[in-house]
Amino acid sequence: MTAMFRAVLYTQWKWSRLIVVLGTLAAFAIPLLSLQGAARADRGAVQAQDLLRSVQSWGSLYPLLATALGLLMAIAAWAPDHRGRHIHALTLPLPRWEYVLLRFGAGFVLLAAPIAAVAIGALLASLTATIPPGLQAYPIALAVRFTFAVFVAYAVFFAVSAGTARTAGIILGVIAAIILVQVVAGIANIDLNVFGAAQTVFVLGPGPLAVFTGRWMLVDV
Amino acid sequence: MSRVLGLAFAAVLVASPLRGQDSLMLRLRNRADSLLSTWREAQRLADVADSLERVRATAGSDTIAVGALRIIANPSPLPLREAAARAWPAIDSLYGSAAEDLVQHPYIIRAVDPDSGVRRAVLHVGVELPWDLDMRATTRILLTTVTPPRFDIGLGDWLGATLRPTLRPGDEQTAVYLQLVTVPSEAVRGCFVGDIARCRDVLQLGDSTGLVGRWYVTPAEREALVSGVFGDYFARGGTAPSLQKCRQHDDDACTALLQSLPPGSLPRLLATAARLSLVREALRAGGRNAYSRLVAHPEASIDTRLASAATMDLDSLVARWRNGVLAARPVSLALPWWAGVAAMGWTAFFGFCALRSSRWRL
Repeated sequence: MTAMFRAVLYTQWKWSRLIVVLGTLAAFAIPLLSLQGAARADRGAVQAQDLLRSVQSWGSLYPLLATALGLLMAIAAWAPDHRGRHIHALTLPLPRWEYVLLRFGAGFVLLAAPIAAVAIGALLASLTATIPPGLQAYPIALAVRFTFAVFVAYAVFFAVSAGTARTAGIILGVIAAIILVQVVAGIANIDLNVFGAAQTVFVLGPGPLAVFTGRWMLVDV
Repeated sequence: MSRVLGLAFAAVLVASPLRGQDSLMLRLRNRADSLLSTWREAQRLADVADSLERVRATAGSDTIAVGALRIIANPSPLPLREAAARAWPAIDSLYGSAAEDLVQHPYIIRAVDPDSGVRRAVLHVGVELPWDLDMRATTRILLTTVTPPRFDIGLGDWLGATLRPTLRPGDEQTAVYLQLVTVPSEAVRGCFVGDIARCRDVLQLGDSTGLVGRWYVTPAEREALVSGVFGDYFARGGTAPSLQKCRQHDDDACTALLQSLPPGSLPRLLATAARLSLVREALRAGGRNAYSRLVAHPEASIDTRLASAATMDLDSLVARWRNGVLAARPVSLALPWWAGVAAMGWTAFFGFCALRSSRWRL
């Protein structure tokens, strides 16, 4: 089983190494760039607001990077199988669910590199920066949030990618139907807020996309 | 003889403009008296109009009494009694014994049809509320429109707001915490790190001489203030050259320009919430009669009044206020534990969906 996992991991690495390397570099650079200038000796306490503004601006890149990594890794995990019409997978001496599980697990292992890069970059940035009194660095909290976001994004896109074109069509159809219902309700002046309900279900509380919201701040009060 | 005539002629010449000046003064005095009497007449008429309007607005209304709150309102489904029952403890705890004076300041509320298309008579007294407001919104309105008893102009000017109860005092203190941390000022930062004298300065308590140097401590702050806030003001007339010098980092020019400003025109370092929270702290410390002591001597300085209200010296009060603000630090950015569990749960769920994909079913 271990040998099989290694083989799957190796093939997946070959298919997605460019994504992993670029993602890791970006993940390492964003925290450092977000605190650029904070390490300057002439930066006094009065620039706290500017620092927070800069950190907040850069903070929007973390969920974007997590989404992009999840999407590209999921596509890369399945693209060769889709191209080969899954013949190779069907010839393997293991149940299909195990094969999917190996692919799923291999993706997580490869995603550990950008996650570690965010953690190291954030720690390095907060150690080298001069942070004004009252503000604190949250490198670990940021890395944990990024980890969860990457995992959720990867799992969502992996599930969509593992499905057939018909499944993808159904998902897109449901999204289109929701938009259509909202537009028609708006035209007919009906008090119906489908987007609001969808937002409540998906983004707020324990929704699947809740981890992407909130404040992605390396430094905050 | 000719000398006598000459003197008499000179005396007439000198006296005639003086007489003219006397008559001008008299005319002006008469005009001022006339204006005063007209103003008094207008005031009397306005009082009569207000009184009549009040009678008209309260005709056919009921009076709701909760504690010392009096609400004169027309019959409607508006939950005024319940809202007053919720608002009264907050009002009573802020104003203490002085809250009894609120009997003299009744709310006049007219519940109106929420349909804005319905025509109704225009009233100039009290407030109009749609009758479908819920209890929470009605309570908020009662709290935000209460008339603070014996609230004087001096206190209002210093506060920059009217002292009213708040349902969330913690939020106010959190807002002050954020200001202490983020306001680009060394004086404010000094207060944050524990310099009580700096706290007194930024709250404008005590001696107000040399305020420019105490509020805007560094040359960079003074230059930023002159160039940013007062750039247009100083750009014209005789101050333009000094403004140029200030922009070229001449601190003496910047300081001179700021000192030439009329008193009270320097922008406050901290927003109103800071002073409001300090007064609330003084009232909390001083017990039920604290508000009465605060408003008892409007002629006294604000620091004396605050110390009297809190029954402690000003530095202790400011230190207590600072501790309260520091304790109201916003919650940490760390994800709650359940968010992590939810994320892992969704990851497992979507992974399971992938395992059960229709592509893999025979």
